[in-house]
Amino acid sequence: MRKLIEFRNIVKSFDGQVVLKGVNLNINENEFVTLLGPSGCGKTTLLRILGGFLEQDEGTVIFDGQCIDKVPPYKREINTVFQRYALFPHMNVYENIAFGLRIKKLGDDIISQKVNRMLSLVNLEGYEKRNVTRLSGGQQQRVAIARALVNEPNVLLLDEPLGALDLKLRKEMQRELKRIQQEVGITFIYVTHDQEEALTMSDKIVVMNAGEIEQIGTPLEIYNEPINAYVARFIGESNIVTGEMRTENTLRFDDRDFVIPDLRMKAGETVDVLIRPEDIAIVPINEGVMRGEVKSVVFKGVHYELMVETRTGTSKTVKMHVVTQHDLANPDTMEKISANDFYVDLDDLENGELTDQDFVSIANAQAWDENDRDISLTRVTHNIEKKTGVYQITFATDKKTEITVKVYVIHPEYVEDARHNIGISALDFFITQDEIQESMAISTDLKTWASAEAWNLQDDSPVDITDVKFDFDPASVTEGSYDITFATQGRELKVETTSRHEEGDRVGLSFGPEDIHVMRKAVHET
Amino acid sequence: MKSFFRMSYPYLLWMAIFIVAPMVMILLYAFTRSGNSMLTFQFTLEHFANFFTDPTFMRVLWTSLRIAFLTTVFCILIGYPAALFIANLPERRQTMMVLLLTLPMWINMLLKTYAWRGILMNFDLESEIKVFIGMVYDFLPYMIIQIHTSIAKMDRELLTAAQDLGANRWKSFTKVTLPLSVPGIISGITLVFLPAVSSFVIPKLLGGGDYVLIGNLIEIYFLTAGDWNFGSAISLIMAVIIIVSMWATKKLDRSAQED
Repeated sequence: MRKLIEFRNIVKSFDGQVVLKGVNLNINENEFVTLLGPSGCGKTTLLRILGGFLEQDEGTVIFDGQCIDKVPPYKREINTVFQRYALFPHMNVYENIAFGLRIKKLGDDIISQKVNRMLSLVNLEGYEKRNVTRLSGGQQQRVAIARALVNEPNVLLLDEPLGALDLKLRKEMQRELKRIQQEVGITFIYVTHDQEEALTMSDKIVVMNAGEIEQIGTPLEIYNEPINAYVARFIGESNIVTGEMRTENTLRFDDRDFVIPDLRMKAGETVDVLIRPEDIAIVPINEGVMRGEVKSVVFKGVHYELMVETRTGTSKTVKMHVVTQHDLANPDTMEKISANDFYVDLDDLENGELTDQDFVSIANAQAWDENDRDISLTRVTHNIEKKTGVYQITFATDKKTEITVKVYVIHPEYVEDARHNIGISALDFFITQDEIQESMAISTDLKTWASAEAWNLQDDSPVDITDVKFDFDPASVTEGSYDITFATQGRELKVETTSRHEEGDRVGLSFGPEDIHVMRKAVHET
Repeated sequence: MKSFFRMSYPYLLWMAIFIVAPMVMILLYAFTRSGNSMLTFQFTLEHFANFFTDPTFMRVLWTSLRIAFLTTVFCILIGYPAALFIANLPERRQTMMVLLLTLPMWINMLLKTYAWRGILMNFDLESEIKVFIGMVYDFLPYMIIQIHTSIAKMDRELLTAAQDLGANRWKSFTKVTLPLSVPGIISGITLVFLPAVSSFVIPKLLGGGDYVLIGNLIEIYFLTAGDWNFGSAISLIMAVIIIVSMWATKKLDRSAQED
């Protein structure tokens, strides 16, 4: 195939923000090339530079052996199908398609011949006289394609042309576009953020990210051998875990060794490991290379998508003391007030991280006026010192309605999971039955009441607590002490399977070395 | 719905008293002889006959139509490039420019016309030219704003598309921008031609006493001569001319849209 277009080191920025960071790309004749990436990755900018509607800051565009940097758009042998079609509202279907030919001053008979050929190519015979503003999205799309193709360009640019169509129509137009491209045999450069569209239609996919090209390849290459985690995540469903090369061909992840083909990785190198969900098979628990518990099952039509937890997260269990506490009423002002005893971490006190407002929320202190409207607690007084012990704290309203509760300053044990670099802490707490019953999101409230937190041991960044386990029924909880366990996300693998499983099932997971794709760590991650 | 309709009664009453009643009276006056008692009407067409047979009146009518037409044409010729220029500015500057254009409209027309009289006194120009300058000055903003609105609401991507299809700047102007701004031009014409054809302050102040347009004629017959019947007849003729020209521009607009 002959090289038709060459982008050489294209740089472009808008208002000081660099949108293209030196893009190099070759496009051959008669290829269906897709520029794929999230919005803002620079794909449309690259297309507009090729169309001549934007000028690059640096670099050169070579078209058919000629530098076209100084060629105005109307002289380029390139036509575009615009995102919102940009059909001329004052012309009917026929005149829209004939626009380019009329500019070239072709004879009426030739124009009519060419337009009619285009109308039948895009299946719009009989629509000549229609008003374009009254056509459906799909029909407008076809007019836009015909209007561009009638000029017999060497290259057709398509800027997210199917974005405004519904799913069914989009699928139909995908097939249609592919057919048209094969029929007219010219280069199509197609911009989209839809990976499925890219896989279906393209000969070549260019995956872009933040103004740079991540990978260029056929749909199969991009899907099966993504160059890094970014590409792998962007195309298709994926499980990506961090692993380490023990030797040139031994990969270790999640405490297991896998022998893989030699990929020229150095021993000791940290790598991203990709396993596609459809490559993992569910097998009886003793047969797989891994085992785990089914955490969720989502029906997807042809298959089920399971999340299987192969390693539990880091967890911490605390006691919840359910107490019966009655609101204190102040007969003078008709106000009521309530608050609970609570535990405080000495470390937090010493760091000065706790404000009076924090005490109000940890104690769940509240006050109401005679009409049951919430009123604010404006005064907080306490004798808390920076050592472990039991202290008193008093919350009061403006009208001196007040309540005093106990504060236990303790030095709790953190759970530190050195292997996975996660620390987690939570405190015992006191709570009333009413508060539990009134909670709209019990797991979230339990986290707040217990001041549950998890963090990365290396850089102290916060880690999500994804699992809150408890064995009481919030609607009918009685006085007493209960265990609450907070846990971070363990290792969950996404598995696509056609067999049925229930949440909580223990299963084995099976996959072979050929299902494991090892990638170098991406330098930049977004 | 019924109670909502009832809320319009005051407006209907207002319209009846201040719009319908005067129009009925003009009709009545135009077709009757002067000196009628309230009870006996002597219907006649002589006012119209007088108007159309008197060469002086016909000349006044012709002058009015000609100067209104020329004013409209010049407003388009000056206004269109201005509107196009403004529409191509960044959004914030556009708002600023439109504000600047409308600013003179906040000042009383009488005052502005007097100012023009002062300026034009120093030049030895024909009355008609002076009136013409005053009219173009006064009505130009209406034209610019109408055209600007129609260009500004046009999808810019259409021009990109035209260029993509091989049209240079001039071609994309004549084939896309211009046809799409026709509705703006039409409403600009309506806003300029109609007040121009019936204006009487500008010709009176800038044209000197010898320059008479149809608006002045009506004024003279009502206020100076006290011949309300003939004045009404001229008003009616004006009204018919205006209605016909509005109908014609509407028609033109529609055929332009269908093109």
